[in-house]
Amino acid sequence: MTKRIPLIARDLRKLYTGFLIAAVVLFLVCSFLTEFNVMTLIANGDAFWEFITEDFLPPALPKSSRIPGILSSVLVTLALAMSATTIAAVLAFFVSLFGSEKVAPFPRAARFVRGFATFLRNIPALVWAFILFSSLGIGTGVGFVALCITSFAFMVRAFVETMEDVSQDCVESLQAVGATFPQRVSQAILPSCLNGFLSWFLYCVEVNIRASTIVGMVGGGGVGLTLFSYIKSFRYDIALSIILLVAAMVIVVDQITARLRKEIMK
Amino acid sequence: MSMEYNGTIVNLKEKEYTEEKKRAKRKTTTKIPVKCRQRNRFIPGFLGGVALLSVLSLLYLDIDWLKMLSRVPDIGEVFWELAHLDFSNMDLILSSMVETISIAELSLLYSLILGILFGMLAARNIFRIPVLSVLVQSFFTFLRAVPTPVWVLLMLVCLGMGPEAGVAGLCVHTTAFFTKSFAQSFDSIPYETIEALEVTGTGRLSIFFNAVLPAALSQIVAWAGMRLETNFSECAILGMVGAGGVGYVISNSLQGYDYGTAGVAILLVFLVAYCIERMFVHIKKRFY
Repeated sequence: MTKRIPLIARDLRKLYTGFLIAAVVLFLVCSFLTEFNVMTLIANGDAFWEFITEDFLPPALPKSSRIPGILSSVLVTLALAMSATTIAAVLAFFVSLFGSEKVAPFPRAARFVRGFATFLRNIPALVWAFILFSSLGIGTGVGFVALCITSFAFMVRAFVETMEDVSQDCVESLQAVGATFPQRVSQAILPSCLNGFLSWFLYCVEVNIRASTIVGMVGGGGVGLTLFSYIKSFRYDIALSIILLVAAMVIVVDQITARLRKEIMK
Repeated sequence: MSMEYNGTIVNLKEKEYTEEKKRAKRKTTTKIPVKCRQRNRFIPGFLGGVALLSVLSLLYLDIDWLKMLSRVPDIGEVFWELAHLDFSNMDLILSSMVETISIAELSLLYSLILGILFGMLAARNIFRIPVLSVLVQSFFTFLRAVPTPVWVLLMLVCLGMGPEAGVAGLCVHTTAFFTKSFAQSFDSIPYETIEALEVTGTGRLSIFFNAVLPAALSQIVAWAGMRLETNFSECAILGMVGAGGVGYVISNSLQGYDYGTAGVAILLVFLVAYCIERMFVHIKKRFY
Protein backbone atom coordinates (compact mmCIF):
# COMPACT_ATOMS: atom_id res chain seq x y z
CA MET A 1 0.00 0.00 0.00
CA THR A 2 1.34 3.41 -0.85
CA LYS A 3 0.88 6.15 1.68
CA ARG A 4 0.63 9.69 0.46
CA ILE A 5 2.94 12.30 1.86
CA PRO A 6 0.92 15.39 2.79
CA LEU A 7 2.15 18.35 0.80
CA ILE A 8 0.71 21.11 2.98
CA ALA A 9 1.12 21.60 6.71
CA ARG A 10 -1.87 20.30 8.59
CA ASP A 11 -3.08 23.54 10.15
CA LEU A 12 -2.76 25.37 6.84
CA ARG A 13 -4.81 22.64 5.25
CA LYS A 14 -7.41 23.11 7.95
CA LEU A 15 -7.49 26.82 7.21
CA TYR A 16 -8.03 26.27 3.50
CA THR A 17 -10.75 23.67 4.04
CA GLY A 18 -12.46 25.96 6.52
CA PHE A 19 -12.17 28.83 4.11
CA LEU A 20 -13.64 26.82 1.25
CA ILE A 21 -16.55 25.50 3.31
CA ALA A 22 -17.28 28.97 4.68
CA ALA A 23 -17.20 30.39 1.16
CA VAL A 24 -19.63 27.81 -0.22
CA VAL A 25 -22.03 28.10 2.72
CA LEU A 26 -21.96 31.88 2.66
CA PHE A 27 -22.47 31.87 -1.08
CA LEU A 28 -25.57 29.70 -0.80
CA VAL A 29 -27.03 31.62 2.13
CA CYS A 30 -26.40 35.03 0.57
CA SER A 31 -27.74 34.02 -2.81
CA PHE A 32 -30.86 32.78 -1.11
CA LEU A 33 -31.28 35.94 0.97
CA THR A 34 -30.79 38.44 -1.82
CA GLU A 35 -32.29 36.28 -4.57
CA PHE A 36 -29.31 37.25 -6.64
CA ASN A 37 -28.62 35.09 -9.64
CA VAL A 38 -25.89 35.51 -12.20
CA MET A 39 -28.21 34.10 -14.82
CA THR A 40 -30.56 37.08 -14.56
CA LEU A 41 -27.56 39.32 -15.03
CA ILE A 42 -26.53 37.45 -18.15
CA ALA A 43 -30.11 37.42 -19.40
CA ASN A 44 -30.16 41.18 -18.92
CA GLY A 45 -26.94 41.43 -20.90
CA ASP A 46 -28.59 43.03 -23.93
CA ALA A 47 -29.87 46.00 -21.97
CA PHE A 48 -26.47 46.28 -20.40
CA TRP A 49 -24.60 46.41 -23.69
CA GLU A 50 -27.15 48.78 -25.13
CA PHE A 51 -26.57 51.11 -22.22
CA ILE A 52 -22.83 50.96 -22.65
CA THR A 53 -22.73 51.41 -26.41
CA GLU A 54 -25.54 53.96 -26.77
CA ASP A 55 -25.56 56.11 -23.64
CA PHE A 56 -22.11 55.68 -22.27
CA LEU A 57 -19.79 55.63 -25.26
CA PRO A 58 -18.29 57.69 -26.74
CA PRO A 59 -17.30 60.13 -24.00
CA ALA A 60 -18.53 63.62 -24.74
CA LEU A 61 -17.09 66.91 -23.61
CA PRO A 62 -19.36 69.19 -21.60
CA LYS A 63 -20.09 72.71 -22.85
CA SER A 64 -16.88 74.68 -23.10
CA SER A 65 -18.18 77.21 -20.59
CA ARG A 66 -18.42 74.46 -17.99
CA ILE A 67 -14.89 73.15 -18.37
CA PRO A 68 -13.10 75.66 -16.06
CA GLY A 69 -15.68 74.90 -13.36
CA ILE A 70 -15.05 71.17 -13.66
CA LEU A 71 -11.29 71.64 -13.50
CA SER A 72 -11.59 73.82 -10.43
CA SER A 73 -13.82 71.16 -8.83
CA VAL A 74 -11.02 68.64 -9.40
CA LEU A 75 -8.70 71.05 -7.60
CA VAL A 76 -11.18 71.29 -4.73
CA THR A 77 -11.21 67.50 -4.40
CA LEU A 78 -7.41 67.36 -4.39
CA ALA A 79 -7.13 70.21 -1.90
CA LEU A 80 -9.73 68.60 0.34
CA ALA A 81 -7.86 65.30 0.44
CA MET A 82 -4.47 66.91 0.95
CA SER A 83 -5.36 69.30 3.75
CA ALA A 84 -7.62 66.86 5.57
CA THR A 85 -4.93 64.18 5.55
CA THR A 86 -2.22 66.54 6.78
CA ILE A 87 -4.25 67.90 9.67
CA ALA A 88 -5.42 64.40 10.56
CA ALA A 89 -1.81 63.18 10.47
CA VAL A 90 -0.60 65.91 12.84
CA LEU A 91 -3.42 65.18 15.27
CA ALA A 92 -2.95 61.43 14.92
CA PHE A 93 0.76 61.72 15.70
CA PHE A 94 0.11 63.40 19.04
CA VAL A 95 -2.74 61.09 19.95
CA SER A 96 -0.92 57.92 18.93
CA LEU A 97 1.85 58.77 21.42
CA PHE A 98 -0.73 58.11 24.10
CA GLY A 99 -2.05 54.99 22.40
CA SER A 100 0.93 52.72 22.85
CA GLU A 101 1.42 51.15 26.26
CA LYS A 102 5.19 51.18 26.04
CA VAL A 103 5.58 54.81 25.03
CA ALA A 104 2.74 56.66 26.66
CA PRO A 105 3.22 58.52 29.95
CA PHE A 106 -0.01 57.00 31.23
CA PRO A 107 -0.08 53.38 30.04
CA ARG A 108 -3.49 52.83 31.59
CA ALA A 109 -5.10 55.28 29.19
CA ALA A 110 -3.63 53.66 26.07
CA ARG A 111 -6.40 51.11 25.81
CA PHE A 112 -9.07 53.81 25.83
CA VAL A 113 -7.29 55.88 23.20
CA ARG A 114 -7.15 52.86 20.90
CA GLY A 115 -10.76 51.95 21.61
CA PHE A 116 -11.85 55.46 20.69
CA ALA A 117 -9.88 55.27 17.44
CA THR A 118 -11.42 51.89 16.64
CA PHE A 119 -14.87 53.35 17.12
CA LEU A 120 -14.17 56.30 14.83
CA ARG A 121 -12.52 54.09 12.21
CA ASN A 122 -15.19 51.44 11.88
CA ILE A 123 -17.87 53.91 10.90
CA PRO A 124 -17.40 54.77 7.21
CA ALA A 125 -16.50 58.32 6.17
CA LEU A 126 -19.79 58.79 4.39
CA VAL A 127 -21.77 58.02 7.55
CA TRP A 128 -19.75 60.66 9.36
CA ALA A 129 -20.46 63.04 6.54
CA PHE A 130 -24.19 62.43 6.89
CA ILE A 131 -24.12 62.86 10.68
CA LEU A 132 -22.21 66.13 10.26
CA PHE A 133 -24.43 67.34 7.42
CA SER A 134 -27.40 67.17 9.73
CA SER A 135 -25.66 69.34 12.30
CA LEU A 136 -23.29 71.60 10.35
CA GLY A 137 -25.15 71.94 7.06
CA ILE A 138 -23.94 70.99 3.60
CA GLY A 139 -20.60 72.26 2.35
CA THR A 140 -16.92 71.67 1.75
CA GLY A 141 -16.08 72.23 5.41
CA VAL A 142 -18.17 69.26 6.45
CA GLY A 143 -16.52 67.02 3.89
CA PHE A 144 -13.22 68.18 5.29
CA VAL A 145 -14.16 67.27 8.86
CA ALA A 146 -15.60 63.88 7.83
CA LEU A 147 -12.43 62.95 5.95
CA CYS A 148 -10.37 64.16 8.89
CA ILE A 149 -12.20 61.92 11.34
CA THR A 150 -11.72 58.64 9.47
CA SER A 151 -8.16 59.24 8.36
CA PHE A 152 -7.29 60.42 11.86
CA ALA A 153 -8.61 57.18 13.33
CA PHE A 154 -6.88 55.06 10.69
CA MET A 155 -3.56 56.78 11.21
CA VAL A 156 -3.75 56.47 15.00
CA ARG A 157 -3.94 52.72 14.57
CA ALA A 158 -1.21 52.61 11.93
CA PHE A 159 1.12 54.89 13.93
CA VAL A 160 0.64 52.90 17.12
CA GLU A 161 1.47 49.70 15.27
CA THR A 162 4.56 51.29 13.70
CA MET A 163 5.78 52.44 17.11
CA GLU A 164 5.22 49.06 18.70
CA ASP A 165 7.10 47.40 15.87
CA VAL A 166 10.16 49.57 15.95
CA SER A 167 11.42 51.38 18.94
CA GLN A 168 11.17 49.40 22.17
CA ASP A 169 14.87 49.21 23.16
CA CYS A 170 15.56 52.80 22.32
CA VAL A 171 12.65 54.08 24.37
CA GLU A 172 13.48 51.83 27.28
CA SER A 173 17.13 52.83 27.42
CA LEU A 174 16.25 56.50 27.27
CA GLN A 175 13.76 55.97 30.05
CA ALA A 176 16.46 54.26 32.09
CA VAL A 177 18.75 57.30 31.93
CA GLY A 178 15.88 59.50 32.97
CA ALA A 179 14.79 61.17 29.76
CA THR A 180 11.50 63.02 29.96
CA PHE A 181 8.54 62.14 27.76
CA PRO A 182 9.13 64.87 25.14
CA GLN A 183 12.79 63.90 24.97
CA ARG A 184 11.91 60.27 24.47
CA VAL A 185 9.55 61.21 21.68
CA SER A 186 11.95 63.48 19.84
CA GLN A 187 15.10 61.37 20.26
CA ALA A 188 13.83 57.80 20.09
CA ILE A 189 10.47 57.60 18.41
CA LEU A 190 10.74 60.28 15.77
CA PRO A 191 14.05 59.19 14.22
CA SER A 192 13.14 55.53 14.04
CA CYS A 193 9.47 55.77 13.07
CA LEU A 194 9.32 58.81 10.83
CA ASN A 195 9.73 56.76 7.65
CA GLY A 196 6.90 54.48 8.63
CA PHE A 197 4.68 57.39 9.60
CA LEU A 198 5.25 59.16 6.31
CA SER A 199 4.61 56.03 4.30
CA TRP A 200 1.27 55.58 6.08
CA PHE A 201 0.55 59.24 5.49
CA LEU A 202 1.06 58.77 1.75
CA TYR A 203 -1.23 55.75 1.79
CA CYS A 204 -3.86 57.87 3.50
CA VAL A 205 -3.53 60.55 0.85
CA GLU A 206 -4.27 57.91 -1.80
CA VAL A 207 -7.31 56.64 0.08
CA ASN A 208 -8.57 60.14 0.76
CA ILE A 209 -8.44 61.20 -2.88
CA ARG A 210 -11.03 58.49 -3.57
CA ALA A 211 -12.96 59.19 -0.38
CA SER A 212 -13.18 62.91 -1.04
CA THR A 213 -14.69 62.17 -4.44
CA ILE A 214 -17.32 60.02 -2.72
CA VAL A 215 -18.01 62.50 0.06
CA GLY A 216 -18.38 65.11 -2.65
CA MET A 217 -21.16 63.08 -4.22
CA VAL A 218 -23.47 63.54 -1.24
CA GLY A 219 -22.78 67.25 -0.85
CA GLY A 220 -19.17 67.78 0.13
CA GLY A 221 -18.41 69.64 -3.09
CA GLY A 222 -15.66 68.93 -5.56
CA VAL A 223 -15.62 66.71 -8.61
CA GLY A 224 -17.86 64.11 -6.98
CA LEU A 225 -20.74 66.56 -6.88
CA THR A 226 -20.25 67.47 -10.54
CA LEU A 227 -20.21 63.82 -11.54
CA PHE A 228 -23.26 63.04 -9.45
CA SER A 229 -25.26 65.87 -11.00
CA TYR A 230 -24.41 64.70 -14.53
CA ILE A 231 -25.44 61.12 -13.71
CA LYS A 232 -28.68 62.34 -12.14
CA SER A 233 -29.48 64.39 -15.23
CA PHE A 234 -28.92 61.37 -17.52
CA ARG A 235 -25.90 62.85 -19.33
CA TYR A 236 -23.93 59.63 -19.19
CA ASP A 237 -21.54 60.49 -21.99
CA ILE A 238 -20.37 63.63 -20.16
CA ALA A 239 -20.29 61.62 -16.94
CA LEU A 240 -17.94 59.19 -18.65
CA SER A 241 -15.47 61.92 -19.51
CA ILE A 242 -15.56 63.10 -15.90
CA ILE A 243 -15.02 59.51 -14.76
CA LEU A 244 -11.99 59.39 -17.02
CA LEU A 245 -10.80 62.65 -15.47
CA VAL A 246 -11.21 61.22 -11.95
CA ALA A 247 -9.37 58.05 -12.96
CA ALA A 248 -6.54 60.11 -14.41
CA MET A 249 -6.36 62.15 -11.22
CA VAL A 250 -6.23 59.07 -9.01
CA ILE A 251 -3.64 57.32 -11.18
CA VAL A 252 -1.38 60.38 -11.29
CA VAL A 253 -1.58 60.79 -7.51
CA ASP A 254 -0.84 57.08 -7.03
CA GLN A 255 2.23 57.35 -9.23
CA ILE A 256 3.49 60.42 -7.36
CA THR A 257 2.99 58.84 -3.95
CA ALA A 258 4.68 55.63 -5.08
CA ARG A 259 7.73 57.60 -6.19
CA LEU A 260 7.77 59.65 -2.98
CA ARG A 261 7.48 56.50 -0.90
CA LYS A 262 10.49 54.98 -2.60
CA GLU A 263 12.43 58.16 -1.92
CA ILE A 264 11.42 58.20 1.77
CA MET A 265 12.16 54.56 2.43
CA LYS A 266 15.72 54.84 1.10
CA MET B 1 52.16 68.10 -6.87
CA SER B 2 50.63 65.25 -5.00
CA MET B 3 53.29 65.45 -2.33
CA GLU B 4 52.41 69.05 -1.71
CA TYR B 5 48.79 68.14 -1.51
CA ASN B 6 49.46 65.42 1.01
CA GLY B 7 51.57 67.80 2.99
CA THR B 8 48.80 70.33 3.31
CA ILE B 9 46.45 67.65 4.51
CA VAL B 10 48.90 66.49 7.14
CA ASN B 11 49.37 70.10 8.21
CA LEU B 12 45.66 70.57 8.48
CA LYS B 13 45.29 67.42 10.49
CA GLU B 14 47.99 68.47 12.89
CA LYS B 15 46.34 71.82 13.30
CA GLU B 16 43.01 70.20 14.04
CA TYR B 17 44.63 67.86 16.50
CA THR B 18 46.28 70.65 18.47
CA GLU B 19 43.08 72.65 18.47
CA GLU B 20 41.22 69.67 19.75
CA LYS B 21 43.74 69.31 22.52
CA LYS B 22 43.34 72.95 23.47
CA ARG B 23 39.61 72.60 23.50
CA ALA B 24 39.82 69.49 25.63
CA LYS B 25 41.95 71.36 28.12
CA ARG B 26 39.55 74.24 28.24
CA LYS B 27 36.48 72.09 28.66
CA THR B 28 36.89 68.80 30.42
CA THR B 29 33.46 67.50 29.40
CA THR B 30 32.73 67.06 25.73
CA LYS B 31 29.41 66.03 24.33
CA ILE B 32 28.97 62.83 22.43
CA PRO B 33 27.32 63.75 19.15
CA VAL B 34 23.74 62.62 19.40
CA LYS B 35 22.57 63.42 15.93
CA CYS B 36 22.38 60.55 13.54
CA ARG B 37 24.47 61.32 10.45
CA GLN B 38 22.74 58.93 8.10
CA ARG B 39 19.45 60.77 8.03
CA ASN B 40 17.44 60.82 4.89
CA ARG B 41 18.02 64.27 3.39
CA PHE B 42 14.79 64.03 1.49
CA ILE B 43 12.48 63.98 4.50
CA PRO B 44 12.74 67.63 5.68
CA GLY B 45 12.05 68.82 2.16
CA PHE B 46 9.11 66.46 1.89
CA LEU B 47 7.66 67.66 5.18
CA GLY B 48 8.04 71.28 4.12
CA GLY B 49 6.38 70.56 0.80
CA VAL B 50 3.45 68.81 2.45
CA ALA B 51 2.97 71.68 4.91
CA LEU B 52 3.08 74.25 2.12
CA LEU B 53 0.65 72.28 -0.04
CA SER B 54 -1.78 71.84 2.83
CA VAL B 55 -1.76 75.53 3.70
CA LEU B 56 -2.33 76.37 0.06
CA SER B 57 -5.20 73.91 -0.19
CA LEU B 58 -6.80 75.21 2.98
CA LEU B 59 -6.62 78.71 1.54
CA TYR B 60 -8.04 77.45 -1.74
CA LEU B 61 -10.92 75.65 -0.06
CA ASP B 62 -11.86 78.88 1.72
CA ILE B 63 -13.94 77.20 4.42
CA ASP B 64 -16.03 79.46 6.62
CA TRP B 65 -14.52 78.31 9.90
CA LEU B 66 -16.36 80.79 12.08
CA LYS B 67 -19.71 79.61 10.84
CA MET B 68 -18.67 75.99 11.37
CA LEU B 69 -17.42 76.73 14.88
CA SER B 70 -20.64 78.49 15.79
CA ARG B 71 -22.50 75.33 14.87
CA VAL B 72 -20.30 72.95 16.82
CA PRO B 73 -22.76 72.73 19.75
CA ASP B 74 -25.26 71.29 17.27
CA ILE B 75 -22.99 68.27 16.82
CA GLY B 76 -23.36 67.48 20.50
CA GLU B 77 -27.09 67.78 20.15
CA VAL B 78 -27.16 65.41 17.17
CA PHE B 79 -25.07 62.86 19.03
CA TRP B 80 -27.31 63.21 22.05
CA GLU B 81 -30.31 62.46 19.85
CA LEU B 82 -28.50 59.59 18.13
CA ALA B 83 -27.82 58.09 21.54
CA HIS B 84 -31.55 57.82 22.19
CA LEU B 85 -31.72 54.47 20.48
CA ASP B 86 -35.07 53.68 19.01
CA PHE B 87 -35.61 49.98 18.47
CA SER B 88 -39.09 50.24 16.97
CA ASN B 89 -37.84 49.84 13.39
CA MET B 90 -35.55 46.99 14.30
CA ASP B 91 -36.94 44.53 11.73
CA LEU B 92 -36.34 47.00 8.88
CA ILE B 93 -32.80 47.70 10.09
CA LEU B 94 -31.99 44.04 10.54
CA SER B 95 -33.29 43.01 7.14
CA SER B 96 -31.36 45.79 5.42
CA MET B 97 -28.28 44.84 7.41
CA VAL B 98 -28.57 41.23 6.25
CA GLU B 99 -28.95 42.50 2.69
CA THR B 100 -25.82 44.63 3.04
CA ILE B 101 -23.76 41.77 4.44
CA SER B 102 -24.97 39.41 1.72
CA ILE B 103 -24.12 41.90 -1.02
CA ALA B 104 -20.63 42.32 0.43
CA GLU B 105 -20.16 38.54 0.61
CA LEU B 106 -21.52 37.78 -2.84
CA SER B 107 -19.47 40.46 -4.54
CA LEU B 108 -16.39 39.19 -2.71
CA LEU B 109 -16.95 35.58 -3.81
CA TYR B 110 -17.77 36.38 -7.43
CA SER B 111 -14.77 38.66 -7.69
CA LEU B 112 -12.53 36.02 -6.12
CA ILE B 113 -13.30 33.78 -9.09
CA LEU B 114 -13.04 36.61 -11.60
CA GLY B 115 -9.89 37.90 -9.91
CA ILE B 116 -8.16 34.53 -10.19
CA LEU B 117 -9.10 34.33 -13.87
CA PHE B 118 -7.99 37.84 -14.75
CA GLY B 119 -5.00 37.61 -12.42
CA MET B 120 -3.91 34.60 -14.46
CA LEU B 121 -4.14 36.70 -17.60
CA ALA B 122 -2.38 39.65 -16.01
CA ALA B 123 0.51 37.69 -14.49
CA ARG B 124 3.62 37.73 -16.61
CA ASN B 125 4.84 34.20 -15.96
CA ILE B 126 1.83 32.12 -16.97
CA PHE B 127 0.95 32.75 -20.57
CA ARG B 128 4.07 34.78 -21.36
CA ILE B 129 2.25 37.19 -23.64
CA PRO B 130 3.52 40.57 -22.41
CA VAL B 131 1.02 42.52 -24.50
CA LEU B 132 -1.90 40.67 -22.91
CA SER B 133 -0.74 41.24 -19.35
CA VAL B 134 -0.02 44.92 -19.96
CA LEU B 135 -3.43 45.39 -21.55
CA VAL B 136 -5.28 43.59 -18.76
CA GLN B 137 -3.35 45.40 -16.05
CA SER B 138 -3.87 48.86 -17.47
CA PHE B 139 -7.58 48.21 -17.98
CA PHE B 140 -7.99 47.14 -14.38
CA THR B 141 -5.88 50.05 -13.15
CA PHE B 142 -8.47 52.31 -14.75
CA LEU B 143 -11.34 50.39 -13.14
CA ARG B 144 -9.61 50.57 -9.78
CA ALA B 145 -9.01 54.29 -9.99
CA VAL B 146 -12.71 55.12 -10.14
CA PRO B 147 -14.45 55.00 -6.75
CA THR B 148 -16.97 52.20 -6.17
CA PRO B 149 -20.12 54.33 -5.71
CA VAL B 150 -19.68 55.63 -9.24
CA TRP B 151 -19.84 52.10 -10.62
CA VAL B 152 -22.82 51.28 -8.45
CA LEU B 153 -24.65 54.38 -9.67
CA LEU B 154 -24.04 53.37 -13.28
CA MET B 155 -25.13 49.80 -12.56
CA LEU B 156 -28.27 51.15 -10.94
CA VAL B 157 -29.06 52.88 -14.20
CA CYS B 158 -28.75 49.81 -16.39
CA LEU B 159 -29.84 47.04 -14.00
CA GLY B 160 -32.48 48.84 -11.99
CA MET B 161 -32.84 49.00 -8.20
CA GLY B 162 -32.02 45.97 -6.14
CA PRO B 163 -29.15 43.85 -4.93
CA GLU B 164 -28.00 43.06 -8.50
CA ALA B 165 -26.75 46.60 -9.02
CA GLY B 166 -24.95 46.55 -5.68
CA VAL B 167 -23.26 43.21 -6.34
CA ALA B 168 -22.28 44.11 -9.91
CA GLY B 169 -20.99 47.55 -8.96
CA LEU B 170 -18.94 46.28 -6.04
CA CYS B 171 -17.66 43.44 -8.21
CA VAL B 172 -16.09 45.90 -10.65
CA HIS B 173 -13.86 47.46 -8.04
CA THR B 174 -13.15 44.29 -6.08
CA THR B 175 -12.25 42.32 -9.22
CA ALA B 176 -9.88 45.07 -10.25
CA PHE B 177 -8.27 45.02 -6.83
CA PHE B 178 -7.95 41.23 -6.80
CA THR B 179 -6.57 41.12 -10.32
CA LYS B 180 -3.73 43.40 -9.38
CA SER B 181 -2.89 41.73 -6.08
CA PHE B 182 -3.28 38.16 -7.37
CA ALA B 183 -1.15 38.90 -10.41
CA GLN B 184 1.51 40.14 -8.02
CA SER B 185 1.30 36.95 -5.98
CA PHE B 186 1.47 34.78 -9.11
CA ASP B 187 4.45 36.72 -10.39
CA SER B 188 6.33 36.15 -7.17
CA ILE B 189 6.28 32.35 -7.65
CA PRO B 190 9.86 31.21 -8.28
CA TYR B 191 10.62 30.59 -11.91
CA GLU B 192 12.22 27.22 -11.15
CA THR B 193 8.89 25.73 -10.13
CA ILE B 194 7.35 26.58 -13.45
CA GLU B 195 10.37 25.52 -15.42
CA ALA B 196 10.50 22.13 -13.69
CA LEU B 197 6.93 21.43 -14.71
CA GLU B 198 7.46 22.79 -18.19
CA VAL B 199 10.27 20.32 -18.76
CA THR B 200 7.90 17.47 -18.11
CA GLY B 201 5.65 18.80 -20.85
CA THR B 202 2.82 20.09 -18.70
CA GLY B 203 0.41 22.51 -20.34
CA ARG B 204 0.16 26.13 -19.28
CA LEU B 205 -3.25 25.82 -17.64
CA SER B 206 -2.28 22.74 -15.75
CA ILE B 207 0.89 24.44 -14.50
CA PHE B 208 -1.28 27.28 -13.27
CA PHE B 209 -3.76 25.09 -11.43
CA ASN B 210 -1.26 22.64 -10.00
CA ALA B 211 1.72 24.80 -9.13
CA VAL B 212 1.01 28.50 -9.18
CA LEU B 213 -2.43 28.59 -7.62
CA PRO B 214 -1.65 26.34 -4.63
CA ALA B 215 1.51 28.30 -3.91
CA ALA B 216 -0.35 31.59 -3.94
CA LEU B 217 -3.29 30.28 -1.92
CA SER B 218 -2.24 31.67 1.43
CA GLN B 219 -1.84 35.13 -0.05
CA ILE B 220 -5.19 34.86 -1.76
CA VAL B 221 -6.87 34.02 1.53
CA ALA B 222 -5.15 36.98 3.19
CA TRP B 223 -6.19 39.39 0.42
CA ALA B 224 -9.77 38.13 0.56
CA GLY B 225 -9.91 38.68 4.31
CA MET B 226 -8.58 42.19 3.94
CA ARG B 227 -11.01 42.96 1.18
CA LEU B 228 -14.03 41.73 3.15
CA GLU B 229 -13.55 44.58 5.61
CA THR B 230 -13.37 47.17 2.85
CA ASN B 231 -16.29 45.66 0.98
CA PHE B 232 -18.50 45.79 4.01
CA SER B 233 -17.84 49.44 4.70
CA GLU B 234 -18.21 50.28 1.00
CA CYS B 235 -21.45 48.36 0.92
CA ALA B 236 -22.73 50.21 3.96
CA ILE B 237 -22.27 53.53 2.20
CA LEU B 238 -23.75 52.40 -1.11
CA GLY B 239 -27.24 52.96 0.22
CA MET B 240 -26.44 56.61 0.64
CA VAL B 241 -25.94 57.19 -3.05
CA GLY B 242 -29.22 55.47 -3.88
CA ALA B 243 -28.73 51.69 -3.72
CA GLY B 244 -30.45 49.63 -1.05
CA GLY B 245 -29.10 48.26 2.20
CA VAL B 246 -28.39 49.73 5.58
CA GLY B 247 -26.91 52.93 4.17
CA TYR B 248 -30.28 53.83 2.76
CA VAL B 249 -31.86 53.40 6.19
CA ILE B 250 -29.19 55.61 7.79
CA SER B 251 -29.38 58.43 5.26
CA ASN B 252 -33.16 58.30 5.08
CA SER B 253 -33.71 58.44 8.81
CA LEU B 254 -31.07 61.14 9.28
CA GLN B 255 -32.72 63.29 6.65
CA GLY B 256 -36.13 62.63 8.21
CA TYR B 257 -34.84 63.65 11.68
CA ASP B 258 -35.53 60.12 12.92
CA TYR B 259 -32.30 60.05 14.91
CA GLY B 260 -33.18 57.08 17.11
CA THR B 261 -33.42 54.66 14.18
CA ALA B 262 -30.29 56.10 12.58
CA GLY B 263 -28.43 55.65 15.85
CA VAL B 264 -29.34 51.96 16.02
CA ALA B 265 -28.34 51.42 12.39
CA ILE B 266 -24.99 53.21 12.81
CA LEU B 267 -24.26 51.25 15.96
CA LEU B 268 -25.03 48.02 14.11
CA VAL B 269 -22.71 48.98 11.24
CA PHE B 270 -19.98 49.66 13.75
CA LEU B 271 -20.52 46.35 15.54
CA VAL B 272 -20.43 44.26 12.35
CA ALA B 273 -17.34 46.06 11.05
CA TYR B 274 -15.66 45.58 14.41
CA CYS B 275 -16.52 41.86 14.48
CA ILE B 276 -15.09 41.34 10.99
CA GLU B 277 -11.90 43.13 11.96
CA ARG B 278 -11.49 41.13 15.18
CA MET B 279 -12.18 37.87 13.36
CA PHE B 280 -9.39 38.44 10.88
CA VAL B 281 -6.94 39.64 13.50
CA HIS B 282 -7.66 36.39 15.31
CA ILE B 283 -7.23 34.22 12.19
CA LYS B 284 -3.99 36.00 11.31
CA LYS B 285 -2.59 35.44 14.77
CA ARG B 286 -3.35 31.74 14.61
CA PHE B 287 -2.00 30.99 11.18
CA TYR B 288 0.86 33.36 10.45
